[in-house]
Amino acid sequence: MKRLLGVALGILTAIGGFVDIGDLVANAVVGSRFGLSLVWVVAVGVLGICLFANMSGRVAAVSNRATFEVIRERLGARAGLANLGASFFINLMTVIAEIGGICLALQLASSVSYLLWVPVATAAVWLVIWRVRFSIMENVAGLLGLSLIVFAVALFLLQPDWGSLAGQALAPHVPESETPATYWFYAVALFGAAMTPYEVFFFSSGAVEEGWTAKDLVLSRINVFVGFPLGGFLSVAIAGTAAVVLLPAGIEVSSLSEVVLPVVAGGGKIALAFALVGIVAATFGAALETTLSSGYTLAQFFGWSWGKFRRPAQAARFHLAMIICLLAGPSLLATGVDPILLTEYSVVFSAIALPLTYLPILIVANDQQYMGKHVNPRAVNILATIYLVIILAASLSAIPLMIMTGAGS
Amino acid sequence: MILSNLLGSEVRDAEGRKVGHIADVRFVLDGPPGQLLAAARLHGLIVSPHSAASFLGYERYNVTQPWPLAQLLRWRHRGSFLVLWEDVARMDSGIVDLRQNYTEYDPMVPL
Repeated sequence: MKRLLGVALGILTAIGGFVDIGDLVANAVVGSRFGLSLVWVVAVGVLGICLFANMSGRVAAVSNRATFEVIRERLGARAGLANLGASFFINLMTVIAEIGGICLALQLASSVSYLLWVPVATAAVWLVIWRVRFSIMENVAGLLGLSLIVFAVALFLLQPDWGSLAGQALAPHVPESETPATYWFYAVALFGAAMTPYEVFFFSSGAVEEGWTAKDLVLSRINVFVGFPLGGFLSVAIAGTAAVVLLPAGIEVSSLSEVVLPVVAGGGKIALAFALVGIVAATFGAALETTLSSGYTLAQFFGWSWGKFRRPAQAARFHLAMIICLLAGPSLLATGVDPILLTEYSVVFSAIALPLTYLPILIVANDQQYMGKHVNPRAVNILATIYLVIILAASLSAIPLMIMTGAGS
Repeated sequence: MILSNLLGSEVRDAEGRKVGHIADVRFVLDGPPGQLLAAARLHGLIVSPHSAASFLGYERYNVTQPWPLAQLLRWRHRGSFLVLWEDVARMDSGIVDLRQNYTEYDPMVPL
């Protein structure tokens, strides 16, 4: 019974923790402009993150090495440093975007300007990182994030023409109002949002934090392969509501209020309350994950002691790095930079940095010296190699597409 | 001298012809016993004629998966060889000279 509960809890947190501000914004924007014609990208992205998150978790559980330690070892100091630079930059951008997301949701709930919420949200994030136990932190944020299911409920309440939605999803084509270049630009953005590298940094470091061993692999596999696709389903529901309400009305998503507009249309005030709780929880959870990932990547590259399982005094540089990130990032928000725009950029930049993160994981997951009998099976290698090609294509095309389309405008 | 000064250095034979770059170095643990392991001793240098990048771990016979990656990395390092430390005549900044009649050993690590 206890074991079953553990499985259920793991799955639920994986679902609730899957969606972050990048997924929210990218899916709403795409839904409002392309309907469901880009749903296949979410499916491809979710399968990809399942594959590589599971791989990085397995490497961490068997070898006790988190992803960035692997990157540092396999890529060497110079290429590793380049990777650290890129990953850290994107991570910091995501931290800022997530904190912006918390504040925007709180603004919607309270009518107090999001700028005033920035210090409050940042302090709350830091306090949780400093004080709260890893497992509690992960479970609470994940479970509250489940409120985002209200997007799926709203989609039902809106009573859409399911046939036409399915048609958009199953026979995708570029809408007449859009060019193929913008279509592919948003495909790359959605892919980047689904496969953001911080997820594997966090997932693999979390495995070390929670002291996983080879025995925990089955549980982690269930969490990933059930939880993440259901989280992806939430992403699709967000895009679906936008496709039903915003697309026909020609409303463009430029702030969080447009993201939740369809929820209000479908379920009224109560649904909105659920959506806001879900968004605050999801972005707060992701803010924790990205901030920790900043600390993890830096500490793992430079060989500092790290982890929440150590007391802050024993991992001083790890905690100091996160404090600096939390001071630096939100002060950028205070300049009035648009968090939504920042999010859109961060998911595209994520797509660019993907190969540097996923290649070393794949290599080490095949190394018998590390993995013993837990090396990748052949089928996983074939799939992962195909994904590496897709990741490379997305990464290389991101900047040209960004320039061609003026960042999708 | 630290390792990063050495990696990527150009390697020349006794006549001054370029034979490649240093891709890696190999240590053996046969020194005096330390706290955890025996002290490491520099055994030799891995010289790669086409690329100075590392093997990423594919210098071991038993690491062959995923196939395309293993093939690609082995191909980038085709013609690589191990020269023993005894065969190194001189090391300068960015340049390593080998002795006459140095021996090229297989760079792969047996397991």
